[in-house]
Amino acid sequence: MEPLLTGLLLLADPFNILLIFIGVLVGVTVGALPGLSSPMAVALLLPFTISLEPVPAIAMLAALYCAGTFGGSITAILINAPGAPPAVATAFDGYPMAKRGEAGRALGLAAVCSVLGGIFSLIVFLLATPLLAQVALQFRPPEYFALTVFALSMLASISGRSSLRNLIAGAFGVLLGTVGIHLTTGVERFTFGTYELTEGINFIPVLIGLFAIGELLNQSQTLSVAYERITSVVIRLPSWEDFKRVRATILRSSGIGTFIGILPAEGATVAAIMGYNEAKRWSKNKEEFGKGAIEGIAGPEAANNAATGGAMVPTLALGIPGSGTTAIILAALIMHGFRPGPYLMRETPEFIYAIFGAMLIANFMFLGIGLAGAKLFSRITLIPRTLLWPSVFVFSMIGAYSFSSSVFDVWVMLVAGFVGFLMARHGFGAAPLVMGLILGKLVEESLSQSMIMFDNNWLRFFESPIVVGFFAITVLSLGWPLLGPLIRRLRARAV
Amino acid sequence: MNEQRESSPQRTRGQRPARFSRLPTINLTDLWLCLLIVAVCVALYVVTRDFEQVADMFAQDVPPEFFPRLLLWTIGVLALLLPFEHIHLRRRDEDIDEHRSVSIKPISFVTAALLALVVASMPWLGTWVTMTLVCVLLPLLWGERRWIVLVPYAIVFPGLVVLLFSGVLKVYLEPGSLW
Repeated sequence: MEPLLTGLLLLADPFNILLIFIGVLVGVTVGALPGLSSPMAVALLLPFTISLEPVPAIAMLAALYCAGTFGGSITAILINAPGAPPAVATAFDGYPMAKRGEAGRALGLAAVCSVLGGIFSLIVFLLATPLLAQVALQFRPPEYFALTVFALSMLASISGRSSLRNLIAGAFGVLLGTVGIHLTTGVERFTFGTYELTEGINFIPVLIGLFAIGELLNQSQTLSVAYERITSVVIRLPSWEDFKRVRATILRSSGIGTFIGILPAEGATVAAIMGYNEAKRWSKNKEEFGKGAIEGIAGPEAANNAATGGAMVPTLALGIPGSGTTAIILAALIMHGFRPGPYLMRETPEFIYAIFGAMLIANFMFLGIGLAGAKLFSRITLIPRTLLWPSVFVFSMIGAYSFSSSVFDVWVMLVAGFVGFLMARHGFGAAPLVMGLILGKLVEESLSQSMIMFDNNWLRFFESPIVVGFFAITVLSLGWPLLGPLIRRLRARAV
Repeated sequence: MNEQRESSPQRTRGQRPARFSRLPTINLTDLWLCLLIVAVCVALYVVTRDFEQVADMFAQDVPPEFFPRLLLWTIGVLALLLPFEHIHLRRRDEDIDEHRSVSIKPISFVTAALLALVVASMPWLGTWVTMTLVCVLLPLLWGERRWIVLVPYAIVFPGLVVLLFSGVLKVYLEPGSLW
């Protein structure tokens, strides 16, 4: 109880509250702008946090993460252009509601459901993180290796449509992580005589490049796209009737979202789509879906925001990111000198509780900001793209540079951006690459330590039931895209 | 499911729907992609052969090239599946060629070249001037012609960024060797 109170007290400083507010404001703004995403915003905000203390720095990023997920629903409802991928499912019913003059009702519902989903997941976060960290403390290098392999296998479904391409991108990210001096032997690997690469590739410029520059090049192809706008918006909180109708959906979706968020590498987008599908499956008014059903907003909104709290659980307890954005938050933790994982919970539990507190405050803040300023946020899409994206480039450039005051890092960012643009075009996700890059060192370290422990005997991995369990679910998760349809076909034939 | 079967009476068990039967086994774009990835893997594998050799005892049975090679093999093997993946995706009604069938617009190449040029000029021009240059050239390239908006933006925005990073966050900004 004491660490919890200490953690919450750490946030009591007005400066920290101001930073959380800034995080929420930036999050809702970025979330509302089509093309700008939470991972991009968190990556761009990272350099600002260099000179901050760890608690306010991570609190601001966590607040941005929560608010960014909600922000996407504003433009999804008002202009049918989800500002962020997790809001895609919200547009299915949100926009039809807005078109029939119920934009305010839809926005109010989205805000309240998001907050309830967020709070639900934060309660789980509060309870599950110490427990998971306690379990993880028993892990030795082989168990950690198996866990990271499982996390990397989950990359297959993180984003994009192709599991295979995500796996390749993830493995490529891990390979990038091997650049620099080998820890055990001190041998230089893939440095090609470049001094700047001896300490490895800085992941901050890579993150900024992949998420910001890749998208900038993508936006250069769609300069003429215009959005149809719903103008008259009077936001109102859901009525008691509405709330009664969606309360079961909120609860169900919050559970789904939290669970999906906890799974390594799964994120808010998957949670939102599952939340929508389940809302439809359980609804008595299935025919209303796609035409403006309020459950169609409650389902994805509660789920996508619940995923944010859920995703923080493996990130902080295991050091395995629960989503693309938490991968960047993990990078921020490393940047601020923390070692994410069970030791974080054991040594500085108040820090974890401070993050919990920041996310809780952020949820209430974005409810207020969302309700009061939705009309304003819908107008930010009026910012000309011809000025918005040059600004993003300026922030990216200076963000990549400021990490170690090196122009080389700006080049790394640019190359990562070009590669990211081409990768996205061919169906490779940026998020798996980032997660691979961040997890790369952990995978190699745990594999090397295991091999040393086992005298180079691979079979000894199977002596641990935890390792066997992780390997089994890894094989299942990788094989499911092929096994699933096969089982369904066999069942259909049997029937 | 039954409705689907009834609506296509000619289709018998083992026959593929028309959209699948027309599908080539190998996707040419992905074949090129596969060859590129495999070539990169081979090239990097060759590089691993040049890693400094260390005694087995010092490397503790895990030499520095072990893990990168494991990854290169993994990537190479996964890449070999790429040309055939479109068949699996089509079964899920997904078209991997949907986005890339439209060629990249010239504006994207010009934008990329401009960004590279700007970054290349950063050590000479310094951070502030480079940012101002971006704020003028990129909007102009993308068709912005409202000078009344562009000029204040190009002056005020980089100034604010410099103030924030240099003044508040105390980040050292490249002054530029030209000045």
